Amino acid sequence: MSVDAPTPASASASPEPYDEMLDGENPRVSHRSLHEVLTALGPSDLNERARQRDAYLDRHGITFSLAGRERPLPLDLVPRLITPEEWATIEAGVAQRIRALEAFLADVYSDGHIMRDGVIPRALVTSSTHYQRKAWGIEPANGVRIHVSGSDLIRDERGQFRVLEDNLRNPSGVSYVLENRRTLAHVLPEIFAKHRVHPVSEYPEKLLEALRAAGPVNVDEPTVVVLTPGVHNSAHYEHAFLARRMGVELVEGRDLYCRDQMVWMRTTSGPRPVHVIYRRIDDEFLDPLHMRADSVLGVPGLLNVARAKRVTIANGVGNGVADDKAVYPYVPEFIRYYLGQEPILDNVDTFDLSDVDHRAHVFERMDRMVIKPSDASGGYGLVMGPDATEEELAAVRGEIESDPRGWIAQPVVTFSTCPTVVDEGAIEPRHVDLRPFAVNDGESVYVLPGGLSRVALPRGSLVVNSSQGGGSKDTWVLDEESPRVVAPPAVPRAVVIDTDAPERHDAPNQHEDRLIQQERQQQQGPAC
Amino acid sequence: MLSRLAESYFWLGRYVERAEATTRLLAEHHQLMVEDQSVSELLSCAVLLEALALPHEHVSHPDELVRAVVGNEETPSTIIGSVAAARDNARAVRDSLSAETFEALNTAYLSLVRGVVITSSPGVTMHRLMERLLTVNGVIEWTMPRDEAFQFLVLGRELERIDMVGRLLAVRHDQLWPSAGPSATLRAAGAQTAFTRSGATLNGAQVRAYLVLDPVFPRSMRNCAADAEEGVRSLARLGVSDKGVLLREVGMLRSALEFEIDDDTESVDRLAEQARKAAHRASDQVNKAFFRQHGTVVWSH
Repeated sequence: MSVDAPTPASASASPEPYDEMLDGENPRVSHRSLHEVLTALGPSDLNERARQRDAYLDRHGITFSLAGRERPLPLDLVPRLITPEEWATIEAGVAQRIRALEAFLADVYSDGHIMRDGVIPRALVTSSTHYQRKAWGIEPANGVRIHVSGSDLIRDERGQFRVLEDNLRNPSGVSYVLENRRTLAHVLPEIFAKHRVHPVSEYPEKLLEALRAAGPVNVDEPTVVVLTPGVHNSAHYEHAFLARRMGVELVEGRDLYCRDQMVWMRTTSGPRPVHVIYRRIDDEFLDPLHMRADSVLGVPGLLNVARAKRVTIANGVGNGVADDKAVYPYVPEFIRYYLGQEPILDNVDTFDLSDVDHRAHVFERMDRMVIKPSDASGGYGLVMGPDATEEELAAVRGEIESDPRGWIAQPVVTFSTCPTVVDEGAIEPRHVDLRPFAVNDGESVYVLPGGLSRVALPRGSLVVNSSQGGGSKDTWVLDEESPRVVAPPAVPRAVVIDTDAPERHDAPNQHEDRLIQQERQQQQGPAC
Repeated sequence: MLSRLAESYFWLGRYVERAEATTRLLAEHHQLMVEDQSVSELLSCAVLLEALALPHEHVSHPDELVRAVVGNEETPSTIIGSVAAARDNARAVRDSLSAETFEALNTAYLSLVRGVVITSSPGVTMHRLMERLLTVNGVIEWTMPRDEAFQFLVLGRELERIDMVGRLLAVRHDQLWPSAGPSATLRAAGAQTAFTRSGATLNGAQVRAYLVLDPVFPRSMRNCAADAEEGVRSLARLGVSDKGVLLREVGMLRSALEFEIDDDTESVDRLAEQARKAAHRASDQVNKAFFRQHGTVVWSH
C-alpha cells in the first residue's frame, strides 16, 4: 500500500483557521485597499448595497433551484483576493493534477499499467461506482476526457492551498463566477477602482475552443451542443448561460437521436448532424441502451456513435472513477507515476476505510473526523464528526462496517476564513473554499483566473455546498501592478468645436404654436 | 432551429397574448359589474368564465370573479397560469431569448406570484399588470431579430389573438349591458378610439363587425389573419415550410375575412366562429409540421 496513514497528531490538532484578510489585528499587505474601502462604507451602506444586489439578481433571474424552488445564489459583497504568487501556484498545481488524472483515465480505460505496476489496487478502481466498463476502449479524438474540471481547494491553518476533492464529471458553478463579477461591479464599483483584477469573461470562448478541438477528426467545423436534463435541473441556468455565451444550441435528450452511426438534432428544417456534446447529465442517464434503461433524459445509441468516433462526449464517460473519493488519496502517486513530478498542491490527509488499520484509527476518533461517501458529490451524505450526535456516529459506523469501500474519512480541516457581510451589514469571518475551473483543449490546460469561492454562511460552519446553504464570493486574482494607478486622462488644452454638426430638425410650426398657446392663456386671465 | 425551441417561442407568443387579452377583458368586465348592477352577478360571472373556459362553480361576486380569472400557477389559462406558462417557455429558450425579454417577463411573473393585492382595487392591479405585459411585448419588438424564432412567436401571438377576440365576442357585453356593453367590448380590445374615429355607429352589431372585419385595426381578426399569413410566408423565406399546407389554412382564412364581406350580424358571427376554428387547425398544423415532424426512432434491447 503506497499511501501512508496520516500520523494521529495531524488528525487531533485543531488550531485557529487562517484569516485571509487579517494578520493579527492588521490587514495583510495584499488586503489593505479592500480593508480601507470596507471600513469607509460602513454597515448601513453595505446593507443598502446588499438590497441592491438582491434586486439585481432577482431581476436578472440569476438563480439555482433547490428542492424545486428557484433562488438566487447568495453572493457575498466582499470579494476574495488572491495574490499573483498564490495564483501561480494554484494554476500550475491544478494543471499538473489534470494532466495526471487524464493519464490515469486513459490508462484505466485501456491497458491499466498503473494497476499492473501496483501503484493503486485494481480492486479499488474496478469497485468504483463510476468505473464504467462500457467506456472501456472509447478513445476520445484528441485524447481529452477531462474537458472541464473544477477541483475543490481549501487553505489550511498555515495558509497553504490543498486539494480537498476533484470534480471531473459535471462541475458546476462557472456561470456564477462570471455573473458574480458583473453583479459586484454593478453594486460595488468603488472596490474595483483600487484593484487590478484578472478578467474572467473569456471562459466561454475558451470552453468553445476546447470543445471544437475535441471534435471528430474528419469534421472541419464541428457542431457543438450543450446537453441539459431540462429546465427543472438545479443548474439549468448555467447550462443556458454557457450555450448562450458560446452561441451553440442548448438541447435536451429528446432533441437528439442516433441513426447510421451519427447523432442528429431535430430542427424545424429537418435533421442536422451533431459532433460534440458538452453534456451536463450524468453517465447513468446518458444512453438508455447502455446505461439506465428507464432514462428519458438521454439519447439511445449515443455510446455506440462515440465508440465509432463520430461524436465526442464531453466530459468523457466514466470520468467518475478518477474523482472517486477513495481514489483521491492516490492522486499524488499518479503525478509521480505518470509525470515524474512532485505534486505542487498537496492533498488533505485521508483515511481509506477499506484498510483495517485506518478503519480502527478512524473509529477511535470519529468525533474529530469528516466522513464522506466515496462516490457522492455536492455534500450529500457527508457527516461532520464534531456536530454529529452519538446515534448518528453509530449509524454511520454501521454503514462503514457493512460497506467499507463506500466511505472515506478526513480529519476536520479548518478552512481559511474571509471577511463576509452578515446580518445588518456587519462583517465577520466565514469559512471559504475555492473551486478553480480548468479547461483542457488537448494542447494546454487553461485555468480560469479566480474560480468560485464558496462560503459557509452560518457562523462556524464548514459546509460550503450551495445545496447545503452555502453562498459564494467573487474571487479576484490580482495583477502584478495592484493597486491600480488611477490617473485622470489627459485633457487637451484646446477643444475644437465641430461647427459642421448637422442641425436638429423639429416639426414645423410647433414652436410658433406654443407661443400662440401661451399668449392665449395669458389673455384669458386667471380662472374665477 | 431546434423544433423544441421553435415550439417554446410559439407558445411564448401565445401565452403572453393570452395573459394580456384576459387581463383587459377581466378589467372591463369587472368594471361593468361594479357600475351597473342590473345584471345578476351569478350570470355575469358565469358568462365570462364560460367564455374563458374556466370553471365557474361558486363564483357569484365581482371579487370572486377577479380571483378566479387571476387564478394561480396550477390553473392553465388564468392570468397567473398564462404568465407562468409564458415564463416557463421563456426559460426553455433562455439561451437564445434576449435578456431584456426574460427580465421583463420575469418581473411581471414575480409581481404576480409575490402577492397581488386584488380585493382592495382590482382595477389598479389589472392596470399595473397590463403595463408589465405591454413592456414585454415592447421589448420583444425591439430586441428580437426577425429570425425564425421571432416568426414562430408572431405566429403564436396572432393565432392566439384570433382566438381571444372570439372569446371576447362570446361574452356578449352588448346583450348583458345594452348601453355600456358595446364600448366595454371595444376597450377590452383596446379599440375604442380607433372605432370612434372610423365613423361607425356605436352598437353591438357594428362593434362586432369592426373587431372581426376591420382592415386597419391591428387586433381585428382580419388583420391578425393577415399577420399570421405574413409570418408563415416569412418562415418559408427562411427555409422553413410544410409544402404550403399551413399557408393555405391561414391564407384562406385571411381571404374569407377580407372578401366575404356581408355586413349582416349573422354572417359576422359565422365568420368569427369560422376564424376561431381555422386558428385552431392552423395551430395543430404548426405543431404537426414543425414540432413533431420527425418519426420517432425506436430501439429495443
